[in-house]
Amino acid sequence: MIRNRNKKISFYTLLMPAFIIYLSIIIFPIVMSFGLSFTKWRHYQMVGVVGLENYVSILKDPSFQKSLWNNVQIMLISVLGQIPLGVILAYLLYRKWVRGAKFFEMMIFMPITISSVVVALLWNRVFSPVGIYTALVRSITHNPDYVVKIFESSRFAMIPILIVLLWQHTSLYMVIFLANLQRLPESVFEAAVIDGAKESTIIMKIVLPALANVIFTCSVLAISGSLKSFDLVFAMTGGGPVDYTSVMALYLYKQTFTFSNYGYGSAVSIIIVILSVGLISLSRGLYARAQRKYE
Amino acid sequence: MSKTNLRTKRISSGWTVFSYAFLILFTVVTLVPMVWMLYSSFKLNGEILLYPMSLPKEPTLANYRKAFEFGNMFNAFFNSLFYSLISTASTVLLSLCAGFALTKFGYRSSKVYSGFFTLGLLITVNSVITPLFIMETSVGLYNTRLGVILPYIAFGLPMAILIASSFIKGIPDALIEAAVIDGAGYQYIFWKIILTLSTPVIATIAVLNFLNNWNEFLLVFTLTSGENMRSLPVTINSFAGRLNQDYGLQFSALVIGTVPMFIFYFIAHNALVQGFGEGAIKE
Repeated sequence: MIRNRNKKISFYTLLMPAFIIYLSIIIFPIVMSFGLSFTKWRHYQMVGVVGLENYVSILKDPSFQKSLWNNVQIMLISVLGQIPLGVILAYLLYRKWVRGAKFFEMMIFMPITISSVVVALLWNRVFSPVGIYTALVRSITHNPDYVVKIFESSRFAMIPILIVLLWQHTSLYMVIFLANLQRLPESVFEAAVIDGAKESTIIMKIVLPALANVIFTCSVLAISGSLKSFDLVFAMTGGGPVDYTSVMALYLYKQTFTFSNYGYGSAVSIIIVILSVGLISLSRGLYARAQRKYE
Repeated sequence: MSKTNLRTKRISSGWTVFSYAFLILFTVVTLVPMVWMLYSSFKLNGEILLYPMSLPKEPTLANYRKAFEFGNMFNAFFNSLFYSLISTASTVLLSLCAGFALTKFGYRSSKVYSGFFTLGLLITVNSVITPLFIMETSVGLYNTRLGVILPYIAFGLPMAILIASSFIKGIPDALIEAAVIDGAGYQYIFWKIILTLSTPVIATIAVLNFLNNWNEFLLVFTLTSGENMRSLPVTINSFAGRLNQDYGLQFSALVIGTVPMFIFYFIAHNALVQGFGEGAIKE
């Protein structure tokens, strides 16, 4: 009996510190955010409950729509750019067609350690009039006055940011896929090679099916992750010019901390959570259906 | 027949050429901006404007001197170190405690708690930043070190507990039962058995958390206001923005932000690869 009580006490002593911190810093604010999203604030004071008004005006705001579209572009570059490139890199390293595969892996993975702020500022320099990119274009086109103007284009201002995202995160997927390939039993490959299987057959029949699950997981994380991008965009363009490069998290930040509109800001954050949970469930559903089809 | 033999025998030269081309291209694109940043930081602004690509003619440390003098870089560096170390150590300890409780005590409520923690993987900083700001302002945690460290710990926990639980689950129950029969308390079991056996997973959790906390931006940026509270990314952001006329100075600030992490990278590379590869994935 005494030992049982001791066990219970030990259980809670071990669990509660983590649980209380987690509860008060993540769960409670989420609930509070939900409540706040129905309120209106002025001069740091709550001035009333407005129901769904915040949500309606957010969804109607062209600036929010622009931000959402920019998030979609980030999502597309993650799923259709970073992940396929990551698969290719991982496979090339896995097959060891080159000497020094370890060296390549080590160099390509390096940007993972640099803070997004530094990455953003560095690439701003790269695209600046004294930057590498500008110098490269100048020497190719023999136009000594070339400067990067794409930032000012309403339609294409996101492109430099997308390029930087590709530079920054592709190697992460490379490492994840490589780790999963290395878990494959060698015998499968040996058998295929002895049988004289073509490279394309090996890729289509062994590699991609083996990676299917992890590619899916990564896509889900890339999708929900791209709804949350903030640091890089904030440091690189601050969402400007106008709202050409704004993303939802930046829109949220401006509402909350520039205009002190806590209710409106909370509503934006709830929309982000709903979109992210919704997209994750949707892709899970689609994936499960696809799996059933092929079984 | 050895595996490597088998591989080299079947190498088609086309694939080798393609591999080299692809990997070299990627490596060059990855390294060139960083190398350029490094050597440009030893050039004065005038030289950068005139010859943006060339190596420094007379390498100078003037940019660094100015960055440390006016940019508050020392202070920012130690703040980053303080935030990252304290919160990483706390996350490691708390997640192992929780992982032990959730996997080895056999209570039915454990499943509920685990699910609850997993939910946290879906929640990111920007979805709680507004209420967190209001909360911290009202309880007096705003612009304090504790006010930064607590959210760092909290946001590290869901992933850390997931990793810790799945590892501790694999520790044989017999070991713990034997210790219980010998009369050992749960505190003893935790410190002497669980903690000692968990070294590999401690490294993984620590490395991933340290990396995330060191590079974190939004929390420090919104929950502190004093210069002396700010971490390296926040300081670099305001420093490189404020003086955006002086390229040399900016480059030196960026290098100061990168070099510590490169050292960290070369020390912790294997733990990082393992951590990310095992399915612990960046937000």
